[in-house]
Amino acid sequence: MVSVDPTEHEIAELGPKIKDVEDLDELEEMLELEEGGEDRDPVKTLIEGRIEKLSADDEEPDPSEADLTELTVADIANLVRGIEDVDVLEDILERERDGKERKSAISQIENRIEDLTQDDDGEAAEVEYVPPEEKYPELDHPTSEKRWVEGTVDGDYRDMWVYCETQQGELIDASKEILGKASELMAGYNEEYDEDEAVVAVLIGEDVSELAEEAVAYGADRVVYQEDERLERFRHKPYTEIFCSMCRDSDFEWRDYHEPRYTVFPATNNGRDLSALVQAELDSGLASDCSDLYIDSATISNPAKTGTPGDNKVFERVLHMPRPDFSGFEYSTILCIDKPHRDFHPQGASVIPGTFDLPDPDPEREGEIVEHELELSEEWFHVEVTDYDQLEGGVDLTGNEVVVALGRGIGEDPTKGMELGLELADAFEEADLGLSRGVITASYQFDGHVEDYVAEERQIGESGQVVEPDLYIAAGISGAVQHKVGMDESDTIVAINTDPDADIRGFSDYYIEGDLFEVLPRLTEALKEGEFSRAVAEVSDD
Amino acid sequence: MTDDYEHFEAVVVGAGPGGAAAAATLAEAGVETLVLERGVDAGSKNVSGGLIYAEESAPYTIDSIFDGFREEAAERPISEYYIHNLAGEKVKTFDLSDIHHHDTEWCDAVLRRQMDSWLAERVHEKCRDTGGGLLTEVRVNGLLREEGEIVGVTCDEIDPITADVIIAADGVNSELARDAGLMDWEEPDEWFQGVKAVVDMDPGAVNDRFGVESDDGVAHLFSGDLFQGVRGGGFLYTNEDSLSIGTVFHLDSLTEEEAEPHELLDSLLTHPLLDQWLDGEYHEREYSAKLVPDSKKAANPSPHQGRLLLVGDAAGQMQAQGPIIKGMNHAVTAGGLAAEAFAEAKSRGNPDSAGDLYEKKLVDEGVMAKLRPQRYRMTRTLSESDLVTKVAGGVLDSAVGRAGVKLFDGAIERAFNSPFLLGMIPDTRTSYVTVPRVVGEVLGERIDAENTIEPPELDDRIGDLTYDVGDPHIELVDNSFAASGAAVAACPVSAKDFGGGCYREETVKTNGSEEKVVSLDTQPCVECGTCAVVADTEWEHPAGGKGVEFKDG
Repeated sequence: MVSVDPTEHEIAELGPKIKDVEDLDELEEMLELEEGGEDRDPVKTLIEGRIEKLSADDEEPDPSEADLTELTVADIANLVRGIEDVDVLEDILERERDGKERKSAISQIENRIEDLTQDDDGEAAEVEYVPPEEKYPELDHPTSEKRWVEGTVDGDYRDMWVYCETQQGELIDASKEILGKASELMAGYNEEYDEDEAVVAVLIGEDVSELAEEAVAYGADRVVYQEDERLERFRHKPYTEIFCSMCRDSDFEWRDYHEPRYTVFPATNNGRDLSALVQAELDSGLASDCSDLYIDSATISNPAKTGTPGDNKVFERVLHMPRPDFSGFEYSTILCIDKPHRDFHPQGASVIPGTFDLPDPDPEREGEIVEHELELSEEWFHVEVTDYDQLEGGVDLTGNEVVVALGRGIGEDPTKGMELGLELADAFEEADLGLSRGVITASYQFDGHVEDYVAEERQIGESGQVVEPDLYIAAGISGAVQHKVGMDESDTIVAINTDPDADIRGFSDYYIEGDLFEVLPRLTEALKEGEFSRAVAEVSDD
Repeated sequence: MTDDYEHFEAVVVGAGPGGAAAAATLAEAGVETLVLERGVDAGSKNVSGGLIYAEESAPYTIDSIFDGFREEAAERPISEYYIHNLAGEKVKTFDLSDIHHHDTEWCDAVLRRQMDSWLAERVHEKCRDTGGGLLTEVRVNGLLREEGEIVGVTCDEIDPITADVIIAADGVNSELARDAGLMDWEEPDEWFQGVKAVVDMDPGAVNDRFGVESDDGVAHLFSGDLFQGVRGGGFLYTNEDSLSIGTVFHLDSLTEEEAEPHELLDSLLTHPLLDQWLDGEYHEREYSAKLVPDSKKAANPSPHQGRLLLVGDAAGQMQAQGPIIKGMNHAVTAGGLAAEAFAEAKSRGNPDSAGDLYEKKLVDEGVMAKLRPQRYRMTRTLSESDLVTKVAGGVLDSAVGRAGVKLFDGAIERAFNSPFLLGMIPDTRTSYVTVPRVVGEVLGERIDAENTIEPPELDDRIGDLTYDVGDPHIELVDNSFAASGAAVAACPVSAKDFGGGCYREETVKTNGSEEKVVSLDTQPCVECGTCAVVADTEWEHPAGGKGVEFKDG
């Protein structure tokens, strides 16, 4: 009896159904039924396919006879896994070498042979250590000269070092965020492992000693700084030399270890550069652009790390560094783990700015501040910075006492409207011109002298700037909610509009019903005569 | 080259009912399926009037694919169906329950955000078992071709993906259908535009005011002279704790009359007839809009090309004939059939035949006959001519015509309830405006009520929607008023003399000469696609997760 009678089903339904049939006899019977019924070719193919698959599962192909050219590398891997006889494997190896000679297939077979021969010795053999220079003499080994490469095994590592980047003489937010997180991580670490390790902040630049206290307030236990006027701007060579010297060569009393246990950098432009240079110089790895950090143990089976195939080894105190992959659709957690004959410390990460919350500074917090005085070689500065440009911050309307904002009411004569707005703004001591989104996205034609003012950087509202001046003058702006959120915290709002039903009237302190082309010049005039408030009161209807 | 791209057996673009049905059916057949959705959540981009049907004659229904749909994803079942013919303050109501229940297993009111996100969760589960899944906030922006053949899709956010079949369920403004040249945005008379308000109402109030049990609901349609002569009508559906009230108009008629969609909606909302249900209270939860293909003209009879199969609105599969408005059920059927076609073609060892098979199934299962009724095509030339419209209008308005209407009172109601006659309804003023108006005038009773509600102004409606302004996703190619001016009125978030909308009319003075132009700000865009048809634009959807986000839809 069959559970599925193919003659009773459409082919599309049969696919999934047949997949579940495990009994060969039943399938044969189904095939007969179909042949006796509609005799649909695709259905027969489907059933036959299933029969083939099941029979294949039943009989392991005889490895000594299997045609390797028919098999994929994955098939070969599966095949050899089940073979215990080294001679059979040697035979397969030979045939593969004579046949397709696929590298990955050959290494699969070799590995299996290796596994088996090792087992024969009664215990798992240690992987014999051959220094890379000997193992791969054909390659050049640019790090072989370096004193720290291959040198440090079972070294002593402590503390979490945080690079504190500065801009314009201030700690950047990303550095403060990382300090806060580092302090939290190390508190947990010290409790968990009963240690007393610290957060060490690194400051490099001109006059950075002034920022040391602040770094402590944000979470550093120790601050190491080096200052020099030549370090005013970020420079690859000296910054890298100084950072490495601080954490490797300095002879502070407390730094009685080889290198830091962890290093964390902000994933800013400069932070990314420095992190890569420093971690390479310290001969360790780097997980860049991380989106979280935590410390935990990790169980690793990779023989390259454990030293013994087939063994699991638990590594303690591993910095887990998750980072987005594939445009953020997947996350990978990067671990930087020592291996036999070579340590990978410090475990280094750069962290995307904004990943961690900006902590509140604690001015009471205490920390040790030490100056590092590495002699700076002139050679490190041989790259000369001949010119640099400050990125335009755009127009910042937020600091003004007065903002004069223009809306689509200027549409009648946009250039004239802009001129009038600018004249009024000029008549105040500290004022600037803002615009509604409607003006910026309009197809108004402006004359050259006012055209530059029409830019998104002057936009006020939800998708622009939010301002809270003492006085906000909205001329020809209806006051849509998107605009309102950008200005309704202003102390005094004066609205000029021809439409008495305009929404803006509802949240203005003064409403002037009138054409901005007439009202603005009068306000400018009044202001020059020092009678602005009277002028407003006079023309205002509210 | 394309070997480097990630490959799935099937990629489904869009997680509405069509995409969900396709993906679930594919997954069921063991096909490795990836679903890509551009919204922050499935349903966040989707709007519909709000009724989903399960047809007795259809091979797939939404609840046959998704267990528990009606209980968990739908609002109220709709058991009563009326149309109100309005003339001034007179109304004549016909009971259309016969046509509503014809071939109907059930019909529920739905809100799309809730419905689609519920579907998406199930789709993700099912697809994950096949090695695929559903990704949101990914906008598919075009087709990946190799030597001229479609082999996959390209996206804004992630690398291109190749697939053995691509099911485009990316909605009425399908960019894939346009990339393949299977659909266009050329003719306004192939489209309707719908706008809708979701109105808050306590469940108890819904029960009382509509005379229904808490697990029951009702639909009301409106036609006649309340829409400034624009061809179309209105609807009101009861949800659990809200009403969906909207209007749908022929886009060509809307632009001809330069009517403002939001004002037409307001004339329905403020009509005295609605007072019995609104009772002076009005809180609008959401304002939304959507372009609706008229399947009679727009449905592509051969909606596939190479590995690309179109389903639902993307293929113009939206049946609107008089009071019959069915879209989602056809999308579900088409999705199921497209999936079935691919599974079958694949098991025959010829996956490339999926498209032909899909086309055949649409015909064999009777879907195409519903979408493009032959009767309509045969009578259209005659009945839609201007002359006939004028004569019919004249006759109906004459004493003779009026007497006829009186005489045939019952016959008209029966005619509305006949699926056969509805298939022939021509798209003219006669059927949409004149007949209902004359019916209302002659047979109607005066409504003795005052509707005092005040719908929100357009700027407040826009302000309540959530936007994320990125790069403008629509570009105005020709900003002259002649080319693109129609959008100022027709765009549901724009209006004449309103500066806060997408499209604004402006006068530019250069060297003493004046020119009327149109400017565009996509900030308040609801992505309905109207301007793609009526203005000269380069129209794309915003990137994944950007743009409007509907909470009800």
